[in-house]
This record gives sequence, structure tokens and C-alpha cells, in this order.
Amino acid sequence: MSVTREEVLKIARLAELDVDEDTLPVLTEQMSRILEFVAQIGAVPASETAKPFVPGPDAVRFRPDEVRPWPLAFGPSELAPAFRSGFFLVPKLGQFEEDG
Amino acid sequence: MSDPGEALASAKAAADRIIRAKRLNACLTPPKELRQSLTKQAQAAHPSGVLYGMPVAIKDNICTLEFTTTCGSKILEGYRSPYEATAVAKLKAAGALITGKTNCDEFGMGSSTEHSAYGRALHPFDKTRVPGGSSGGSAALVAAGAVPAGLGSETGGSVRQPASFCGIVGIKPTYGRVSRYGLVAFGSSLDQIGVFGRSVHDAARVLSVISGRDPKDSTCEARDSLRLPTVPESLQGFVIGVPKEYFPPDLAPAVRRACDRAIRLLKELGAAVREVSLPHTQYAVPTYYIIAPAEASSNLARYDGARYGPRFNGALDMRALYRSTRGEGFGPEVRRRILVGTYVLSSGYYDAYYRRAQQMRALIAQDFRNVFDRGVDLLFTPTTPTPAFKAGEKLADPVAMYLSDIFVVTANLAGLPAMSLPIGRVKGLPIGGQLIGQAFLEDEMIEAAYALERVVPAAGDA
Repeated sequence: MSVTREEVLKIARLAELDVDEDTLPVLTEQMSRILEFVAQIGAVPASETAKPFVPGPDAVRFRPDEVRPWPLAFGPSELAPAFRSGFFLVPKLGQFEEDG
Repeated sequence: MSDPGEALASAKAAADRIIRAKRLNACLTPPKELRQSLTKQAQAAHPSGVLYGMPVAIKDNICTLEFTTTCGSKILEGYRSPYEATAVAKLKAAGALITGKTNCDEFGMGSSTEHSAYGRALHPFDKTRVPGGSSGGSAALVAAGAVPAGLGSETGGSVRQPASFCGIVGIKPTYGRVSRYGLVAFGSSLDQIGVFGRSVHDAARVLSVISGRDPKDSTCEARDSLRLPTVPESLQGFVIGVPKEYFPPDLAPAVRRACDRAIRLLKELGAAVREVSLPHTQYAVPTYYIIAPAEASSNLARYDGARYGPRFNGALDMRALYRSTRGEGFGPEVRRRILVGTYVLSSGYYDAYYRRAQQMRALIAQDFRNVFDRGVDLLFTPTTPTPAFKAGEKLADPVAMYLSDIFVVTANLAGLPAMSLPIGRVKGLPIGGQLIGQAFLEDEMIEAAYALERVVPAAGDA
């Protein structure tokens, strides 16, 4: 299953990732190679009989719903690139483009 | 060790050794910061702890309060976590010293520690080769004798493969044995914290400390800490399976010879050894390289320049901010995996890739159940098809790099415990043998490893 340059650009938009024009040909070739490689599992007849594999405990355990002290050593103002008065500062939302 | 002076001496000696090993580019913590922190930690360490004064290096995708946590990525450069991993908290409570953060492939994505934003780590015995990955920094430091133990993480063999390449012991516990709280997520259904040691005992006792229940991780089983087994006199009563699919015709001859010798030794120790089959093994790598990137594409969506790490500025609107931060902050391998993961989850491809991969994962897990249900206690295989490869050798071909994990990804897909221990050398390069156990029966696996470690000529040519 090979992908085209346009498909890589479309997927990059979905993944919110800028892709450098210079690296696009190599990236397209490598993605095609990876997708061809992983597509080999399609050759095995689909099985609905194997017991689905779910790692970890059989049921999700919940913590008690209690208000507890702030568990962090320091707050988001020390983590975020821009933070003021309890809010993360970001640019305006802008025009939401169609990826269709 | 229970005298505070001894912990200080241990801290100083560990810092000296790590700084002397600087050429390996295995430790990302600056020397001055490392020395200062180790002095403070030694003064605060609990003398009654079972690991009192033991230096333990931590992979840089496991959160610590003492040091930055960058995951080997530019997108988290300078990031200091506001909380620490449960595994790290347990180590500190046991008196261990956290000896800095170790180099790794970015977010754990790689098999050579070449995909780090902070430069590649070097193999401790041959600087032209890779130490394996993604936990290559921890493995290199342990193998160089700078620390007796280290933490790594596994999504698809990232502890066992570098342990094999560097000639040390690496253990991946059962999924759910060790809390993932504070382990930066890559593939959440596969990720586990693992341990490195210069001996089975060192690795096992660190694993014993970090294992056990944690209310902060709902995927961590409500079980007590791992009980350490004693060193057995023999392996009488053990049935060890040797899966034929792990010995393909193109297996490196020295690896085959080392495994044959180890199997002979297991028999001499009293184990019954029988050939078994895991028929879906050949599909494990493609299955893994659908599921892991799919989960990664979701987990790594949080790195967008709004809440963590550096922001690559100049964007006029929010989406441009996301795209420029992620485009500049992630390295090539992470970008490739995010794109592949997004592709296999996208409309029109989900059934053909992701859904099919989940079915294949179930079949791979079923293969193991079938073998264990027929009376086999453990499996023995090579850890890797070859010894450590040359730096740069597989960089241009991602699929060739992925195939170096062919014998290790199955245990992650099936959630089983597995470990690598050194079983010989070829031209000075270590060869690892792998034991795969049944879920939550790490004690049996470690028992067999203790016995094999005592008799196998790990430093001898295969």
C-alpha cells in the first residue's frame, strides 16, 4: 500500500504536524514502505474466534471521589510557555479549515 | 549499608563514574546538577531501606522531581515534571539514589538510541556501534559499571534489546505488575517500566521494590510486590519450551551457537526442554507497528505548545501554533510514527489496519496461552537476531530497524513478563538469551535466570 505526496500532506494536517517540503519525498517513500510492510497481516484470514486480548485488570477500578490537596509540586504557571491569571495564553483560534 | 556516611560516599563515587563515562552520551543530567542532587539525596535517604545507598539511573521518559524529563525530545526541552513516577517514589522510599536521567530514543521510539534530540548514545564496548534502544542510555551506564542498576521502559522490547546488546540483565515485568504513573505515555496498552542490572539479583531486587499496587494507575494490578525467589540448586521440574519460529535460518550463527549452548545448560540443570510452536510470530512486528503508532498518535497529541515545554512561536492562530510546535519539536522517527498512526486510524483504513492488528494481537496472545496450557512453564529464545549493529546502519530504512525487535515485541503484545540475560559473546560483543514467563509468574522466570546465570559462560565466545 503506497501513499502519495498529497495523502501524506492530508494525514499531516489531521495530525496537526507541519511537514517540511524538502523532507516530503523521503517521508512519502518511507511511509509507503512501512505501510506495505504492515499490510502483510491482511494476508492472514480474519479471525473473530480468538479471545480478545485486553491487557491489565479485568475491570477498571476507580479511586474514591474525594477532594484532596493539590498533588503537584508546583503549578502550571511554571510549566506553560505562557500563563497568566490562571489561564494558558494561546493565539486566537483562527479560521477552522476544511481538511476534506 | 546503613551509615549515612556510606550513602554519601556511594553517591559521590556514582557521580564520579557517571561523569567519567561521559563519552557514552548516556546521561543527560549536567555533572554539577547531578553532584548537588546526589549529595542532597544521600543526606535524605532512608537508612533502613532495602536499597539504601544504591545508585539507580532513570530513563528520561520517567518523571522525576530532581531532574528534567525530556523524553529525549526537543519538544520537552527543559521540562520539569510537577510530580514523580510511582516507581521513582518507591525507589527513593527504599533508600536508592536517583543518579540522573538517561538518554533514550525520543519518546521511546527507536531501537538504537540514535533518535534522541540530544545526540546518539554509544555502545560501551565499541563506540562505532549502538547500545540498542530505546532505553540505550540506562543500559550503557549499567554495562559500563557506572551504576549497578537502572530503570528503562518497554513498549516493544526497549529494555531487553539494549540489555542484550550491552551484555547485562534486563527485565520487562507483566503488564500491570509495575505502576505506569509518571511514565510518559507512548503506547498505553503496551508500556511498562522495566529494570536493568549487572546481575539477575540486582535487577530482580529493584523490580521487587518498584512492583505492586498503585491507586494512581488503574491498569496496575492490585497485587503485592514481587517476592524474590531464592537461587535454586537445579531446574528439576521446570518445563522450558523453545519456539521454533525464533530460530530462523538467517539467525546470526554466533547467536544460534550461544542459544544452543544455553539450552544444553538448561537441560544439564535438570529442566525438561521441548520444541514448541508460536505460529503467528512472523506477524508480531507488523502488528506492533500498527498498534504502537496508533496509540502514540493519540498520546502525543498533548504536545502542542500550549501547556508543556517550549513553544515555537510566530504562529498567527491556534492551529498554526500546534503545527509549527509539533513540526519543529518532534524528530523524524516520532513524526513518521504519528503519521502512520494517524493513517491507520483514519476513516477507510481503520478496519484494514487497526482492527485487523487487534485481531492479530489476540492470536499472538492465544499462541502463548496454548503453549503454557500444555504444561510449559517458560520459553527460551534469542533476544535479538544479531549482536549490536553499527551506528547509522539502519537509520535510512525504518523497517530494517523495526525488524531488530522481532523476538521481543511478542511479549509486549501478549502482556507477558520476559527478560534478557547475557549468554556469550562474539568478537567481544555480547549476546543475550531471552526467557518469557507466564503472566505474574516473574518469580519462576527469575529463578531459572538465577540458575542459568551461574553456569553460562557469559563472557566467553560462542
